[in-house]
Amino acid sequence: MAALKEKRTCAQRCEDFGYFVWNPDTKQLLGRTLDKWVYISLYYVAFYIVMSGLFVLALYVLLSTLSPYTPTYRDRLQSPGVVMRPNTYGDEGLLIVYEVNKPDSYTPLIHTLQNYLTPYNRTEQHAHYENEHCNGNKYFTQNEPKDPEQKLLSCPFYRSSLGKCSGMDNSTFGYPDGQPCIIIKMNRVTSSFRHCPILSTAPVCQGRLLVNVYFLFFKQKGEPKNLHNIEYFPPNGTFDLHYFPYYGKIAQPSYMNPLVAVKFNSLEKNKLLKIECRVVADKISADNIHDPYEGKVEFEIEIKNGTAVNK
Amino acid sequence: AASSNFVWHNKWFSCFKRIELTQQSKSCFHHVTVCNHVLDELYSASHFHLTQGMSSTLAAQVLERDGANELKPPKGTPEYVKFARQLAGGLQCLMWVAAVICFIAFGIQFAQEDLTSYDNLYLAITLIAVVVVTGCFGYYQEFKSTNIIASFKNLVPQKATVFRDGQKSQINANQLVVGDLVEIKGGDRVPADVRIITAQGCKVDNSSLTGESEPQSKGPECTHENPLETRNIAFFSTTCLEGIATGIIINTGDRTIIGRIASLASGVGNEKTPIAIEIEHFVDIIAGLAIFFGATFFVVAMVIGYQFLKAMIFFMAIVVAYVPEGLLATVTVCLSLTAKRLAKKNCVVKNLEAVETLGSTSVICSDKTGTLTQNRMTVSHLWFDNHIHSADTTEDQSGQSFDQSSETWRALGRVAGLCNRAVFKPGQEEIPIPKREVIGDASETALLKFTELTIGNVIDYRGRFKKICEVPFNSTNKFQLSIHELEDPLDLRYLLVMKGAPERILERCSTIMIKGQELPLDEQWKEAFQTAYMDLGSLGERVLGFCHIFMNEKEYPRGYNFDTDEMNFPTSGLCFAGLISMIDPPRATVPDAVMKCRTAGIRVIMVTGDHPITAKAIAANVGIISEGSETVEDIATRLRIPVEQVNRGDARACVINGGQLKDMTSDELDDALRAHPEMVFARTSPQQKLIIVESCQRLGSIVAVTGDGVNDSPALKKADIGIAMGIAGSDAAKNAADMILLDDNFASIVTGVEQGRLIFDNLKKSIAYTLTKNIPELTPYLIYITVSVPLPLGCITILFIELATDIFPSVSLAYEKAESDIMHLKPRNPKRDRLVNEALAVYSYFQIGAIQSFAGFTDYFTAMAQEGWLPLLCVGLRSQWENPHNQEVQDSYGQEWTYSQRLYQEYTCYTVFFVSIEICQISDVLIRKTRRLSVFQQGFFRNKVLVTAIVFQLLLGNFLCYCPGMPNIFNFMPIRVQWWFVPVPFGILIFVYDEIRKLGVRRHPGSKYCPNGI
Repeated sequence: MAALKEKRTCAQRCEDFGYFVWNPDTKQLLGRTLDKWVYISLYYVAFYIVMSGLFVLALYVLLSTLSPYTPTYRDRLQSPGVVMRPNTYGDEGLLIVYEVNKPDSYTPLIHTLQNYLTPYNRTEQHAHYENEHCNGNKYFTQNEPKDPEQKLLSCPFYRSSLGKCSGMDNSTFGYPDGQPCIIIKMNRVTSSFRHCPILSTAPVCQGRLLVNVYFLFFKQKGEPKNLHNIEYFPPNGTFDLHYFPYYGKIAQPSYMNPLVAVKFNSLEKNKLLKIECRVVADKISADNIHDPYEGKVEFEIEIKNGTAVNK
Repeated sequence: AASSNFVWHNKWFSCFKRIELTQQSKSCFHHVTVCNHVLDELYSASHFHLTQGMSSTLAAQVLERDGANELKPPKGTPEYVKFARQLAGGLQCLMWVAAVICFIAFGIQFAQEDLTSYDNLYLAITLIAVVVVTGCFGYYQEFKSTNIIASFKNLVPQKATVFRDGQKSQINANQLVVGDLVEIKGGDRVPADVRIITAQGCKVDNSSLTGESEPQSKGPECTHENPLETRNIAFFSTTCLEGIATGIIINTGDRTIIGRIASLASGVGNEKTPIAIEIEHFVDIIAGLAIFFGATFFVVAMVIGYQFLKAMIFFMAIVVAYVPEGLLATVTVCLSLTAKRLAKKNCVVKNLEAVETLGSTSVICSDKTGTLTQNRMTVSHLWFDNHIHSADTTEDQSGQSFDQSSETWRALGRVAGLCNRAVFKPGQEEIPIPKREVIGDASETALLKFTELTIGNVIDYRGRFKKICEVPFNSTNKFQLSIHELEDPLDLRYLLVMKGAPERILERCSTIMIKGQELPLDEQWKEAFQTAYMDLGSLGERVLGFCHIFMNEKEYPRGYNFDTDEMNFPTSGLCFAGLISMIDPPRATVPDAVMKCRTAGIRVIMVTGDHPITAKAIAANVGIISEGSETVEDIATRLRIPVEQVNRGDARACVINGGQLKDMTSDELDDALRAHPEMVFARTSPQQKLIIVESCQRLGSIVAVTGDGVNDSPALKKADIGIAMGIAGSDAAKNAADMILLDDNFASIVTGVEQGRLIFDNLKKSIAYTLTKNIPELTPYLIYITVSVPLPLGCITILFIELATDIFPSVSLAYEKAESDIMHLKPRNPKRDRLVNEALAVYSYFQIGAIQSFAGFTDYFTAMAQEGWLPLLCVGLRSQWENPHNQEVQDSYGQEWTYSQRLYQEYTCYTVFFVSIEICQISDVLIRKTRRLSVFQQGFFRNKVLVTAIVFQLLLGNFLCYCPGMPNIFNFMPIRVQWWFVPVPFGILIFVYDEIRKLGVRRHPGSKYCPNGI
């Protein structure tokens, strides 16, 4: 007890510590002689090698049980996410703000759209060819490939089908006119709609996109209000059925996400509007309060019109 | 009369002034001595009888000046300080520091607007909550035991008989002042320090002050310079056993001798308990490792290219992750469980940490009276018919009795029963004889009880032999006699019975009764008597001789006028009946308990205020001095050589009395303690007890001290663990002690030691269990920083492991039975056998903890891969994964994930990692059941609490996983069932690995390759 309680000066403590680090009498480094350190290190090296080996073995066994084409579970992907372009973020999520008279304010948005659509050029999709399945009425189901070399077919999506929002005729996507386009995409999820009866024509299962637009006046929650004068491209505003199901990037390396473009022709100017676009389909939920991007996309938009105010 | 009154008052007042003057001098002993002289002068000079007492007005003035005559309760620690102390232990400080770090990290993140989660804030709040809650728990425990102790206090106010204004009156003792004239009768407690002026057969029991069990007679004459030795001062709080005395109060309240001793205790500093030292040592280890890891990864993070502040936050997070949040709760709960268990066995623990201290104890300094002995004089031996017979001295009269058929015994019993003035207090017919209260001194009490037990109703018996006259005991003739008529009304002889100091009795005898026959007392019988007397005396017993004579009815016819002053009856030529010896016998359980201490490597040292011979005899009786051990003096007598020539090393035992101790330097005392394993200190003063304790502590022992009197309180305080007696103990002793024995029984200490040792072993297991999971909690973060995988284990999840699921199993280890007979091991060496040593920490962290980490990562990668994220993709994924603006991160199959989907996947990983740690911890708790034995030898299901704990842990884990709403509250996800089984092989590996280690430890005990400190 006494020894534990004795007060030692700092210098003595330092000296003790020095002895602990290297004790010249017993030739001990940090309380052990060198050869002991070697032995103990060897033990630990061996221990960790064995453990790592077991770990790698476990991972190997794990990987060998996995299918290379589709994941084992889709627990978190019950409903696909929905995203849009342009995707600029404000404090509270997607926010598109620009001034019609200032090209600087919308050029980046147009660039985003242009860049996003580049892969959808007809020339970019030379690997695809249209086939008899790509007629939009039914699922394009294929058998799983037997070996990794075998690739499955996928239908092409050409930007021309986006019409006024394809950026081909009007490279400004209507932004300077105050009639902007946005492009909506549904996230890829393997074997989507797998619960749907194959080739069913039931309307609930049709990948039809409606844009339900809620009108929110200055962020004050108001009554949902339908926006008038909205155009959808492709004209019916649907993701055609022949783009589904998705068989994963190994089997279907050339898969292109189908897109839907929305053109707002008469948005009120100088007001921040909140717009929600949801995918309306059976089996796709858009009501998950914990995931704002599941089955729908919400964004705020404000088109400033300086001259209009001045006049 | 008026003038004499005036003179008296003058004298009184001048004396009183002088008393006051001396009171200001520093030494209380000096003051008392001077007082004594002053009063001597007064007493001899004045021819007045001091019957007037003080005037009430003067008394009132003095009372106002000096305050009430009571011991101020020792300044208790204020409640808020007690509570604050609960919040400032070693572990608590560690957690405070961690909480502050969390706040800083939170502040940095907040300032940087980099606030992705409030984890740091939650963590800080939880840490503080844990400290406060466990603090409250500990405080409550302490508060409860303080209450138990407080309930012992005697609340009945004590009365005292005082003379004031010439009137005798009863007032509350706390109203007494210096100068008051008081009267003390048998049965009273002495109300203050009193200088005796008149006394008639007054005997005072000083045991609460000096530890002497023998009553001291008090009288007006000054017999010694030392106030403790002189006969004319009676001390506050001692008890007057018999007789009557008057005296003048010379000290009141805290200025009394006993008050000074009590205040001496508060001057003795509190020592840190061994467990507090252990925990500090442990905190050093933890803090060192935490900073080492933190710093390493800070450097790594900087090298990888993180910003300085980000790296700083990593550093802080790692340091905090190292804090074992659950450990504090575990330690507190384990200790209070044991405290509770001890309370059932009559040990109340005031200070939780004292539980473990008891287990580390290597020396017990025990009081004799009351602790080792019954504190009750009892007849132990008889000598008649030339034989020494043993009487039954057990507390419950379960022992063997002697042969009572002899005629001599009838004579001896008759003398013992008749020549005795003691009587039972009325109304105790229900109480067993040994426990009844008696009016009379200790030896007469012993004889009364003895005769009551052997002969039957003594009061009846005495009634049959009508007492004619008696001569009470006095110090000049040293005998007591009485004359009785005989039982048989036809026998007209008178019977004279006499008892007294044996040699005096023998002088008066001419015959001796042997087997009912009166034989002449020749040299041969005298020698036999001497031998027996010596034998009994050497047992430390108080011996009395008994004799009688039947007086011829012709010489002493009925109605003869016996004159006790003239002694007109025969007082010599009597018939010697026998000797009876008495002792305060050891408690029945004590020898066994001392033996247990011995096998447990604990040294029992007796420290008593009693005579060396009695002390030695009791020590030998209970085994403190073992059979065959000799003192230096014994060896000298045996070899017939002078004491100086004896080789001190040969003497195992040693009896040192207070006088010798006074002349010894502390080095000599250390040497003596080192040289003689069996020590008895007799006639020691309170200060000397303190010196002995300090000496033992200097020798590196952890010392437990038992005591009951106020005089013991300094030593109780100084000791590593002070043990006070619940029944006999004074409040001062109870206040100074860490533990209280409700039944005053030494054997309870042994139970305490056993529990203390068990809790040390089990705490070690609990801590090892708790520490292990630190690594699987930390590695996810390290991998997250270095390899940039999505975070495998979240902060809230860690808190759930530490504070919810793992608490019960770690506490359940406290219920584990001892692996071997812990009472056959030596006490732990506080310098070598640490609670947490390097081997334990390294083994837990880098071997078991490592396996657990591998289990966690295997499960983590399984859950990721089966949901679409193959291991290799995870590497470097962090920045994308954590970007809340990226809603289309692609997994290995080309699927695109929104931020929330990824977040819930991350929660799934947390849950999976949590489950892995839980499964491995089940294996861990099983291996921690034993440190050396195989779990199969210990039995899987023997510890029911542990089994319950495992079930509870699993149920709680399932609840957290599958209760709806959990994902968004506590980030637990309902995981797929098979992920519960991924870590199982690792759990089995842990179990097998540790069984192999234990096998090695058992096969090669002491081998350096199989450290058994784990």
